[in-house]
Amino acid sequence: MSHNPTFVETEVLSVERPFRFESGDILPRIDIAYETYGQLNERRDNAVLIEHALSGDAHAAFYHKGDRKPGWWDCMIGPGKAFDTDRYFVICSNVIGGCRGTSGPSSINPATGRPYGLTFPPISIRDMVEVQRILLKHLGIDRLKCIAGGSMGGMQTLQFFCDYPFQFESFICIASSMKHSAQQIAFNEVGRRAIMADPRWNNGNYYDDVPPEGGLSVARMIGHITYLSEKMMQEKFGRLKKDKESRAIFRPSFEVEHYLDYQGISFVKRFDANSYLYITNAIDNFDLKTSLSSRDRFRGEGRQRGAHLDDMRGKRGLVISFSSDWLYPPSQSKEIVQFFSAFNVRVSYTEIATEHGHDAFLTDYTRPSEIIWGFLSSLS
Amino acid sequence: MYKIPAQTYPIIQEWIAHGSRVLDLGCGDGSLLKTLAGTKQVEGIGVEISEEMILKCISKGICVYQADIDKDLSEWDDGSFDYVVLNATLQVITRPYRVIEEMLRVGRFAIISISNFGYARNRLRVLAQGRVSSSARISGGWHDTPVLRYVSLKEFISSIREIGVEIMDARYIFPFNVVSSTRWPLYNLLAKEGIFRLRRT
Repeated sequence: MSHNPTFVETEVLSVERPFRFESGDILPRIDIAYETYGQLNERRDNAVLIEHALSGDAHAAFYHKGDRKPGWWDCMIGPGKAFDTDRYFVICSNVIGGCRGTSGPSSINPATGRPYGLTFPPISIRDMVEVQRILLKHLGIDRLKCIAGGSMGGMQTLQFFCDYPFQFESFICIASSMKHSAQQIAFNEVGRRAIMADPRWNNGNYYDDVPPEGGLSVARMIGHITYLSEKMMQEKFGRLKKDKESRAIFRPSFEVEHYLDYQGISFVKRFDANSYLYITNAIDNFDLKTSLSSRDRFRGEGRQRGAHLDDMRGKRGLVISFSSDWLYPPSQSKEIVQFFSAFNVRVSYTEIATEHGHDAFLTDYTRPSEIIWGFLSSLS
Repeated sequence: MYKIPAQTYPIIQEWIAHGSRVLDLGCGDGSLLKTLAGTKQVEGIGVEISEEMILKCISKGICVYQADIDKDLSEWDDGSFDYVVLNATLQVITRPYRVIEEMLRVGRFAIISISNFGYARNRLRVLAQGRVSSSARISGGWHDTPVLRYVSLKEFISSIREIGVEIMDARYIFPFNVVSSTRWPLYNLLAKEGIFRLRRT
């Protein structure tokens, strides 16, 4: 498990046994794509699990050979950084239902030899957690120093921590929520509709043809509007026009249009439209409190979910929000703090002043790094 | 900035029962909670607004909640804490009555320490220099000092009763670290600080 300090590769764990989803559906086998950074110590107690957001993947830090850009959270993970790879063994895996190496709707169904498409079972945040448990078992890690993630990564963090608190010393939840509000669901639904309204989507059967790039890029454009604050957008683009001379009507001319266009186009190159539908559906259906009070008839260890909540007592938590994040507003983070405080989890909360909106969880790293560094250092 | 009087720590420790849940409003660098965690095994949460202090608390393993205590106490349920502490912070609060009421809603008991503006030296300073905002514990000018409330022990004691709050215990801190639990004559002139344990009547 040693790594070149600069270059990393995504590894794939093939799980050749059935995986049962929360829905009750079963897949005969799954793949789990993951990366690790740093070294697991002899006591095997310095592992930190990183959870990615909607469009993220297992490649959280360092570089893939030939790439110009590092992993999605490279500003936070590395030697001397917030998640210090000189001290911690950092793990990140792609979520189930994704399209970046872990099984998802674009994976091949061994029974048919064709991509699953919409025959892939519906996924939940808890399914993402259960898949990661398989990975942790494979890596021989039972106890982790911390689990951390932002946005959807925060949801996985909360679910994992609540379902299996005895596996973690602490959690860090950034710009996230215990459940989506109507507004958050609404934005996701518009994104999904954009994909499904694209004739190329074809009920999810597009893998032999051109994918629904138009729909997916519109979904991504909507996403990006919600990731930025109004003020930041105004300062960054205002009413600037890129192509003042163009006489073509309804072609992108404002800077902000070009920006969204670029975000949409670059997204379709790396993301599967069906995965977008599956994952946003999982996010919208996530409801931490409800999930802890309902029975799960299917899996063994946590037969009754919420059974281990009392084990959370005395554990440490850190909840971070960003002042201008209107997609996952600070009020939702405060609810998380209150929820865990009621279980006697020692939770700290900080709201970071920024103009960068929800995007801040990926871009603003100075202050979060100080806080996370301090938090992790204060653990036993 | 306002100096935190450490003389109040032993008194607070004496009042707080072993293993209680404590909310420390304006907890600064978390040193009171750290002390209480060590000596009384309390489960403590600090509330602080300063980013610098938040980082200090988190780095010490102190549980801290970034909030403006003038606004944000409503998030805690009734009776979430045994003690809610306001140590040397009352003077910087915009709506003190509201905060005291909230303290006694989320906590069973409140502990409040205040610097006595009626203390002889403060009176002399005002008298001699004619300057209101420069007292021993206050830095900055009238326009930028964080201290908004100039209150004497006597005023505090009489007003707190009016809002239905009972003083269960009090300590008056005089010069040379003389601490008394009885209200000596001239206490409002001679005591530097007072600290009170309060509950609803």
